[in-house]
Amino acid sequence: MTEQSLTVISCAEFQDHLPDLFANANGVPSDPALKHHLDTCENCSALVRDLQYIADQARMLLEPADEEPSDDVWSGIQHKLDSERAEALPTPPLPS
Amino acid sequence: MNDIMSSEHTATNLQGPPLTQAPAGPKPVQGLFKRNPPIAGEAEAIEAAKTGDPEAFSKLYALHKRRVYTLCLRMLGNVSEAEDMTQEAFLHLFRKIGSFRGESAFSTWLHRLTVNLVLMQLRKKGLQLVSLEETINPSEEDAPKRDFGSRDPHLTGSVDRVTLERAVASLPPGYRMVFVLHDVEGYEHNEIATMLECSTGNSKSQLHKARLKLRELLRESGQTLQPAVLKEAVR
Ligand SMILES: [Zn+2]
Repeated sequence: MTEQSLTVISCAEFQDHLPDLFANANGVPSDPALKHHLDTCENCSALVRDLQYIADQARMLLEPADEEPSDDVWSGIQHKLDSERAEALPTPPLPS
Repeated sequence: MNDIMSSEHTATNLQGPPLTQAPAGPKPVQGLFKRNPPIAGEAEAIEAAKTGDPEAFSKLYALHKRRVYTLCLRMLGNVSEAEDMTQEAFLHLFRKIGSFRGESAFSTWLHRLTVNLVLMQLRKKGLQLVSLEETINPSEEDAPKRDFGSRDPHLTGSVDRVTLERAVASLPPGYRMVFVLHDVEGYEHNEIATMLECSTGNSKSQLHKARLKLRELLRESGQTLQPAVLKEAVR
């Protein structure tokens, strides 16, 4: 397992593997050529760091329930539900 | 269950030491718990809503409105459309609640319903999310540039919520969708693929492009960025 035995890959080739690497359950490139590139290429390791950072920040900063809808939304829902209910009811008998 | 929890967002080892320390309070709630926190009184409200109890509707709305609205807002990127969609989602919910059998968590059910409605809306507006890579892709000029060693500054790790939220909002809709579903909502690629009717490979590549695009947008936003060298010097 000397360095010479590693296939040297370009940044483009390395970056082509990134979507899978990020989705990979282990997170560590199992391909020695990829791992070697990640360890030695400053540019690609910074890229990976940035993308991971973005993902982490999204998870930490963007809560799934951050925003509050205006009260109009509920009034609209109630209004529609009421009119649907009214339609579903049998017509009341006419007052005699 | 463990499987889902542990396989989520596990790319951490790809990187060296993190740029910033994550806050001490861990956020392990990503995934199932972030998506489906147990809610007191929910089960009773669901049962009552099935009988048409208006109070129960009101309670379910109060419990879930922020979740649903935030999702709509992030995916649609527009307040008035998001409010319309929230209204639609709850109307659907109340009409169909009788068919909710409790096999999945209620919030998952509601969430799926909302995502489907948003997707229908986006498709109606002409956004093709289906099948081919090209159709989910934004136009060429929207696509992130490749990074092969330019001397661009790298992110420094001082992105705040407002800046990030703004950057996400300016992503092309196809990217935004996958990013929000995966990185914010905690869906897995196979779940996203099912929802968007695309391949998991497609979902992975869209997510990757979304993050690349965000990186560009965050760099452009300027204030949160400084060259990596500078960052080192400041420390
Ligand atoms: Zn490289």
